Amino acid sequence: MEIEARHEYREELASLERRALDGLDLVVASLDRTVEAVQHQDIELAELVIADDDVIDGRYLEIHQAILTLLATQAPVATDLRLIAALLHVMKNIERMGDQCVNIAKLIPIAGHDPPADEQLLGYLVAMGNAIRVQIRQAKRAFLDRNVEMARDLVREDDVIDNLNRECFQRAIEIGDEHDRREWAMTMMLVARALERIGDNAVDVGEQVAFLVTGLFREFEDASHPGEEPMPEPSSSSPS
Amino acid sequence: MNYERRDLKVADPEETTMPRSPGEAESPTPTPESPMISETPARVEDMHATRHVRLEDLHAYYDSNHAVRGVNLSFEPGNVTAIIGPSGCGKSTMVRCINRMHEEIPGARSEGRVLLDDVDLHASNVDVVAVRRLVGMVFQKPNPFPTMSISDNVASGLRFIGTPRGEIKDRVDSALEGAGLWSEVKDRLSSPGMGLSGGQQQRLCIARALAVEPDVLLMDEPCSALDPVATLKIEELIGVLKEKVTIAIVTHNMQQAGRVADTTAFMLDGELVEVGPTDKMFTNPDDDRTEQYVTGKFG
Repeated sequence: MEIEARHEYREELASLERRALDGLDLVVASLDRTVEAVQHQDIELAELVIADDDVIDGRYLEIHQAILTLLATQAPVATDLRLIAALLHVMKNIERMGDQCVNIAKLIPIAGHDPPADEQLLGYLVAMGNAIRVQIRQAKRAFLDRNVEMARDLVREDDVIDNLNRECFQRAIEIGDEHDRREWAMTMMLVARALERIGDNAVDVGEQVAFLVTGLFREFEDASHPGEEPMPEPSSSSPS
Repeated sequence: MNYERRDLKVADPEETTMPRSPGEAESPTPTPESPMISETPARVEDMHATRHVRLEDLHAYYDSNHAVRGVNLSFEPGNVTAIIGPSGCGKSTMVRCINRMHEEIPGARSEGRVLLDDVDLHASNVDVVAVRRLVGMVFQKPNPFPTMSISDNVASGLRFIGTPRGEIKDRVDSALEGAGLWSEVKDRLSSPGMGLSGGQQQRLCIARALAVEPDVLLMDEPCSALDPVATLKIEELIGVLKEKVTIAIVTHNMQQAGRVADTTAFMLDGELVEVGPTDKMFTNPDDDRTEQYVTGKFG
């Protein structure tokens, strides 16, 4: 009864997933450059981040087209269909994360070559970048392993990032009366905001893992109803 | 479509003469008298799907081959139920048990109950001809009567049940209309049925089945011999007819099940593995075997 069927299709689907999730590695690379550029006010590196975003956008288009072709020619259903729907979302998240890096990179020249930088505030931003890197890698691993627990754990990671974001805000308030310093701190708040959004996108990837495995889509944390019980554990055993 | 309604009515058991297949259990029907089809026309009104079909612990055999193994399944009125599963899983056999076509095969027998509302169609005192009038069937290959004209094809069943001559034309026209064929054939009703295209022939067969006002329509891969356009026409027709008759469709084409069926049942090795709303069956089935089948990992 058990015959290995639709071999090419299965290969295609597996390769599609790999290519899509490798997009998260592209984001990590871009994020690392972005944070380094922020840390050292490196305008050239920032320009590289902006230029290289085309690679992430290209990956997005490539996966998008491959998904359309697969939908049109293979009529995927059940877990396959959920995988494809999840990958569409994940690619969009990847593309958004890349754009946030670009947003940050564009802020660096505004701050100038030699801004009145504050080491403490920069330290928070670098810590945010480190936490987000861990978060993105964890999101990828959770997706590949179909591990809902690991995906839900991204929320915990995200709380760390949100706290750092608040620390940035506090520090920016305390930064003093000097005009240039205040301007720099406000620019860094935009950087912190963009980083925080990247973290949210990583959590969104985790939500897609839960959808893929359980067939249910629920936000892990509902921003409009904070503090409410997040998505319950899947009660029944998940389909293969 | 104007159709007269008949009802299952209690008739004299003496009148029912019907071959019983060997090995079939004696009538488990709770009704003390035998149900029959009344020939008395009910009030003339549009057909509406109202009848449930319920299979209870249905088993079917070909000699020693146990083809259907204890299926419990309901077909709801107003609903299209698709039965999917790999070749040889028993889906056609199961459907053929509903209108008692299965027992026509030498060595074939069945056990369990097939209820049309509360009447057991397998009860020993039920007239098998009446069953087949209430439960129409459309087959894989269009099978119009080769020597007959289009209108005679549709009228054949009506003549058989003794419809008054004066009513036949009206009911033929109405059945052709109901099968979505009227506009294509109205100017050549006396041409041979075999002169139609494959898709038209299949709709002619649907018209023939509809003419005798069935409560249930069984379709056994009705589109597998048709091109995509003819297939879509039949599928659209199914969407219209489901308001008028309870429909069960056996199909190998899972996209077709997705398009036409409200409920999908998956069979494997003679057993009903899973039944549920079609969208759920194709997005998030409960059973691993359903998942494996619909994603094409076997079958």
